[in-house]
Amino acid sequence: MRRYTRLYWEFAKSHMKVMMEYRIDFLIGVASVMLEQFASIFFVKVVFDHIEQINGWSFYEILFIYGIAATGRSIHQIFFDNLWTLGWQYIRPGKLDRLLIRPVNPLFHVVADRLHQDGFGQLIIGLIILGTAIPQLDLVWGAAEIAMLVVMIISSGLIFVAINLFFATFSFWMIDSLPIVWAVFNLSDFARYPLTIYHKGIRMFLTWIIPYGFTAFYPAAYFIDKSGYKEFALWTPVAAIVCCVLAYTFWNRGLKAFASTGS
Amino acid sequence: MKKYWQIAKGRMQENTAYSAWYWAGTVSAVMKLLIIYFFWQAVYANQTTIENINLETMITYIVIAMLLQGFVGGVGNELAENIKEGQVAIELMRPYDMIFKMFAVDIGEKIMYLIQGTLPMVLIAYFFMDLSFPKSPETILLFIVSALVGIWIGTFFDFLVGVLAFWTVNVWGVRVLKESLITFFSGALVPITLFPDWLRTITEFLPFQAMVYLPVSIYSGLISGTEAYMALGIQLFWLVSLYVLVRVIWSQAIKQITIFGG
Repeated sequence: MRRYTRLYWEFAKSHMKVMMEYRIDFLIGVASVMLEQFASIFFVKVVFDHIEQINGWSFYEILFIYGIAATGRSIHQIFFDNLWTLGWQYIRPGKLDRLLIRPVNPLFHVVADRLHQDGFGQLIIGLIILGTAIPQLDLVWGAAEIAMLVVMIISSGLIFVAINLFFATFSFWMIDSLPIVWAVFNLSDFARYPLTIYHKGIRMFLTWIIPYGFTAFYPAAYFIDKSGYKEFALWTPVAAIVCCVLAYTFWNRGLKAFASTGS
Repeated sequence: MKKYWQIAKGRMQENTAYSAWYWAGTVSAVMKLLIIYFFWQAVYANQTTIENINLETMITYIVIAMLLQGFVGGVGNELAENIKEGQVAIELMRPYDMIFKMFAVDIGEKIMYLIQGTLPMVLIAYFFMDLSFPKSPETILLFIVSALVGIWIGTFFDFLVGVLAFWTVNVWGVRVLKESLITFFSGALVPITLFPDWLRTITEFLPFQAMVYLPVSIYSGLISGTEAYMALGIQLFWLVSLYVLVRVIWSQAIKQITIFGG
């Protein structure tokens, strides 16, 4: 564990140097992601200029859901973004074979190969959204609530990671599963709004099959009493852990299948 | 004429190979339709109209806007790549006008997209979401013309962003900026009539509303009669202006190349 921490630090240090070298690119990247997020929030704002609430949820409550998702996703985007590139950067050009002979966990190596600058823009905008929404929510915030919020956001991030890892693993069989990863990732758009607005089937799907519901709606519902999901929301960290275990197990299977074809 | 058609055809063949991406795109588009449908159902749960727009018209507007936005892009990306890799120098020596060549590629791509991407979506949307049809044949005709003009405005604009690669290093950042601007100001997400007044005023002076908002408003009946013809006039103004701009900037850019070439 300590060895990996030190190793990650070494990797990260060299990323930082590159980032500082291309400072303008770094700033453009951060700014563009922020603008993108801002556009979708603006959309919700325009709609709420004309109505009071959606399915009983006010503007700031929707913003809160959104903020949790954005902040959670930034964890995934900053540290695990390289999973997207597994197919075309590692498997197709044969770079993965080189990683496999190194004395490091291959998943760790792939993940540590990149620290994604745009993720910082996502993090900043996520925190801004949460900072805007929370004071308007009329909730009591003690140390316990803040700790719970942090746990929820980390869980949300881990679910994003696990889902991407799971579908990126298909690359071991089909060389590049990026289209699948991308399509599944788009499902997370559903989680922007209260799940209660959707048909029951969609709700079930986003809870039990591809659990994006736990990246935003359920964590937010924990803090908002009237939602009726307060207790169910407590399962969020458990869901995160289960997802990670499943995805990692599947990854290992894929790796085995891949190694056997390589010889 | 024939050579440009060959170029368009070549691109159509290339594209059929990307079937994994096709299915991923289709699935994503269906999901987007679902989100739109349920979101607006929930928005209208407590009212019958917003700014005089009822649910049926709103969903029609949003879905048609989403489908049309898929055509608003263009060749900017490819052009930027060509410039970055120096390919553009060879392209310029070939026996065709490079601007028309790029547009031919683009048309090929868009025809394929229309058949593979848009038509299935249109069927699904009409079948499950009760979209409304325009009332008169005149409106349908007007919409088709308006949509084509809007798409060309988008294509020209995209070309202009691509040409920037001659002067800037980070093309990608500029592109993301462009995408956000278009989504924002073209009315692709929500009819511009819902915008706050100050923003609507700004929007009226920008070319983006001519890409999506005006044609889709004609389709869904938000704009009708004389207003519709006026909208078409505004679109034609932008079309011509942007085309002139494309020509002027392109000739400037080509001068830049000869300087590099020494």
